[in-house]
Amino acid sequence: MGLWARLRRRLRPPRRLSFTREGRIIVVLSVGVGFAAINTGNNLLYLLLGWLLSFIIASGILSEMTLKRLKVERRPPPRVFAGEPFLMEVVIQNAKPKRASYSIEVEDLAGTTPIDKRCYFLKIPAGKSQRTSYRHTYARRGLYTLTGYRVATKFPFALFRKSRDVDAPLDVLVYPARVAVPRPAPKTTSRGETTANRLGRRGEFFGLRESRSGDDRRDIHWRSSARTGRLLVREYEDELARRVVIGVDNALPEAVRDAVKDGALTPAHEAAVSAVERAISVAASLAAAYLEVGWTVELCARGTHIPAGNGRLHEAKISRALALLPYVGDEVELAAIPAKVESVLVTPRGVSAQNRPMATTVMDV
Amino acid sequence: MRFAVAHKTATYLMVGCAYLAMTTGGGLSPVMSFGGLVLMIASWWWEPPRIRYERWTLMWTILSVFALAYAVLTAVVTGDFLGVGGQFLVWLVIAKAFNRRAARDWQQLYLLAFLMLVAGSVLNPELTYGLCFLGFVISSTWAMTLFHLRREMEDNLLVKHAADRASERVEVRRILDSRRIVNGRFFLGTGLLSFAVFLGAAAVFLALPRVGIGFFLKNRGGLTLAGFSDGVKLGGHGVIKNDSTVVMRAQVTAKVGGRDAPDIHWRGVAFDFYSKGQWTRSLKAPRTAETVEDSPTVDRKYLMWDGPAITANQIDQLAGQLVEQDIWLDPLDSDVLFGAGQPRIVEYQHVLRPRKLPAQYNDEIRLTHGNTVHYTVWSQLRPPPPEVLRASAGPLPKNFGVYLELGPEITKRTRDKALEITRGMTNNYDKAVAIEEWLKNTATYTLVLVDPGEQEPVDFFLFDRKKGHCEYFASAFAILGRAAGIPVRNVNGFLGGEWNEYQGYVAVRAGDAHSWDEVYFPGAGWVTFDPTPPAEIDQLGRGGTGWRAKLGRFLDTLKFQWTKWVIDYDLASQLELFKSIGTAIKDAALAAKAGVLRVKDEAIEHWPITLLVIGGPAGLLLLRRRRRGAPDALTGGRPPRRQRGAVAHVYDQVAKALGKAGMIRDAHTTPRELATRMAEREDPAAAQVGELVELYYAAEWGGRTDPAADERAQLLAGEIRTALDAAKKRRRTGFGRMPG
Repeated sequence: MGLWARLRRRLRPPRRLSFTREGRIIVVLSVGVGFAAINTGNNLLYLLLGWLLSFIIASGILSEMTLKRLKVERRPPPRVFAGEPFLMEVVIQNAKPKRASYSIEVEDLAGTTPIDKRCYFLKIPAGKSQRTSYRHTYARRGLYTLTGYRVATKFPFALFRKSRDVDAPLDVLVYPARVAVPRPAPKTTSRGETTANRLGRRGEFFGLRESRSGDDRRDIHWRSSARTGRLLVREYEDELARRVVIGVDNALPEAVRDAVKDGALTPAHEAAVSAVERAISVAASLAAAYLEVGWTVELCARGTHIPAGNGRLHEAKISRALALLPYVGDEVELAAIPAKVESVLVTPRGVSAQNRPMATTVMDV
Repeated sequence: MRFAVAHKTATYLMVGCAYLAMTTGGGLSPVMSFGGLVLMIASWWWEPPRIRYERWTLMWTILSVFALAYAVLTAVVTGDFLGVGGQFLVWLVIAKAFNRRAARDWQQLYLLAFLMLVAGSVLNPELTYGLCFLGFVISSTWAMTLFHLRREMEDNLLVKHAADRASERVEVRRILDSRRIVNGRFFLGTGLLSFAVFLGAAAVFLALPRVGIGFFLKNRGGLTLAGFSDGVKLGGHGVIKNDSTVVMRAQVTAKVGGRDAPDIHWRGVAFDFYSKGQWTRSLKAPRTAETVEDSPTVDRKYLMWDGPAITANQIDQLAGQLVEQDIWLDPLDSDVLFGAGQPRIVEYQHVLRPRKLPAQYNDEIRLTHGNTVHYTVWSQLRPPPPEVLRASAGPLPKNFGVYLELGPEITKRTRDKALEITRGMTNNYDKAVAIEEWLKNTATYTLVLVDPGEQEPVDFFLFDRKKGHCEYFASAFAILGRAAGIPVRNVNGFLGGEWNEYQGYVAVRAGDAHSWDEVYFPGAGWVTFDPTPPAEIDQLGRGGTGWRAKLGRFLDTLKFQWTKWVIDYDLASQLELFKSIGTAIKDAALAAKAGVLRVKDEAIEHWPITLLVIGGPAGLLLLRRRRRGAPDALTGGRPPRRQRGAVAHVYDQVAKALGKAGMIRDAHTTPRELATRMAEREDPAAAQVGELVELYYAAEWGGRTDPAADERAQLLAGEIRTALDAAKKRRRTGFGRMPG
């Protein structure tokens, strides 16, 4: 943020007022009655003018009291996917000990502009909190920052909409869109390079057997042992036996990258970008599919490498990396895909690039 | 109360108050006012499911077209645009009240209510307007607030979201029937708010500068009342009505206007010419002699009567010796101003002065006014002593001969009677007193009139009926006086009035109208003679002491205050108010200063007591604090606060920094859970936060004290801050960081 922007932000008034239709009518009436009062000298018109003005003042004071001591908390869901609607939970707390707040609107701010969704609370009793949510969709993956939120009210007479912007940055990481992708059939087994169904230490669950001396106590399956009356332990498949490397080509020609930066995409550029985005989505979905069934997944992309791992935390790591995966030139090398391991390279259709490694399966999407 | 019912009730109250504000002043015909009210009440039940609005749309449209055509035609024919406009407004309100379909209709109802209030400001300047206005302010606050909430509900804002199904709208009807949204506290709170709005309106009203030019001001026109009239005509038959409408309020000192003080003659019009039972002002009558001083704010007139003009300083000095009266006079059929006894100085707002002053005769004061007028009079109440009047001699001033003229219709026996009554008397004073006494003793007072037919009315009164009202007595005195060679003129005005102890003023009613005479004494001036028997003239009285009389006076006080502070509030009143506020503030400040100085002097003089007064409570407070702070099993003193260690302080600072960066820890999240979540999200410095949390747990809750841990915590805090700053800088580069 530049100096000027920061200065402007500091000088920004704490409250904003905008007229509603009713407010405009009241102002017009005030001007009319004031004009009539001055022209006629009729004191009852002065009285009406006094009422109109104090009505406006009271509206301002009451809306101020309504907005005071309201705390808002936004809770995004743990995972947000591009193109999929999600619910942003908004919790508002009225910290005033004795006064309820009525007719409150809460909007998330992107920069200084509210996003297109808002939450409405009819009444928040004194000292209580209420929650609601709004449905929103991010079209594209990436890291979005909601810089704060806007609390607004038209209470009590809907003459003005008074709002207060609160700085409360909230990062929302949008993962690549999920697509239905079948896992490619394993190809390495046929070449005899690795063996499947080998027992390992912490692979996918393989079966139960009687306990032997030296077995890890953590592997005892207590429920089955209790049922059979014999001490049974779990057996696992070897993790290395079900490992896959997923590569995704995130290269884009320089002209397209520049167009993305400038926001001046031609249809051809759009097609290229969409292809890369589709490839990233497919890669993310593939990774999720493999991890779901217990495979160990390693991710390779130009400028990014996530070592092999499994489990939910690893899936989050891969999704995050893919969510933030930048477009690069094809001079950046794609990390080498190891041989003898099941591998899938996802390439964007119609986007040519150098330095693509070999893989057991190549998906041109 | 159910929300929908509360909203409807508040709206009807608001519209009802505005309706009454417009109609209770009598500006609209009573039939229309009452009919409109009945229809408006009936509209309460005119709503679904009882009624289907769409079935009646055509009928309302046709009726509205007819109403519009009728209003236009009537306005063009009668020229009374205001009255017809008011009637059409009544129709619009009724039509709208019967068609409350959507939010827009409610809104239009509010606008129409406001327009009725505007129309009422011209049609009804009475106190009822003020009471209705108060009701309007309170009910409009309720109505507008509830309307706002209702509309927000009915908009698309109340949508219930769920992650597992589509969003659905909340049933608005259910909320409208809810009793939880508005309750007694809501009405009390908004009621207090509306009272504050009312006070605000009053403050703004008083503070707004009165710079109006009154260009379009519509005059109310004079009141036609039984009582005072700008002329005297004897004869006719019937019974004179006793009208108790208050027409004038005069603030005077209790010594002059109080219940025990003598009745005041409020002098208005005076006549010099009598013919055929009728008193009029002749063109030969002396013009009212006066000097006028005008300033940008007030005009001051000095009535010379038969004397010379005097300077402004002399007028000021004279004002100090006379009785001052602040008078609020309602519009009557006449433009004459009234004053007690013999008015000498009159002062009124400069803006009231017409461009062309009306012709004034016989020491009358005239000022054209269409509304209640406020002016100040300084009067001479006591006549010169009898010996001065007896010694009065000299020629009559020019034109004063008209006060001796008698028409040829005055009968011989009347003239003879005058000579007979005054026989042997050598001065006009004794003659006038003799005639006055003779009339009081010979004739009796009655409000029942009998037509004298062709007979001269005074002759009929003196010799045949010997009964009459004040105008007969006053006319008879004037005729007899003139026949006896005394310069006399007939005067009309009011007598007495009810003393109002709440505000210190005399309320003069239409029924207090009275007629009497003035006799001229060269060198001494005009002197009041009232030949009407005193026991009979006080028909309305000076006011009783019973609760009804007191209540009546209290209501009149309210009316008077309404007139004084609202209807007649002008630039001069405003300046006076500000001046008195300024004086009050200055006095209060001076009093406070004097009080402080006095206390200081006393404190220095009696220093041991001062020491005791200040030191005692301070010592007690100190002692109490110390006792509270010390752990005491017997007194249950507050235990000392748990001391937080160095690691905990470091953790607190880091938690604050994390909060600012958007990583807020909820009440239901432990520090460790937050650290885990940060690690999952790969937030900046997540690992450092996790380590710091473990150190914090160990130090604060594990009872571990390790200097190395303190150092490590400081180091971690530094790293976390650096990482957060870096993340912040990255964030500033733009919203929604996208690849590329």
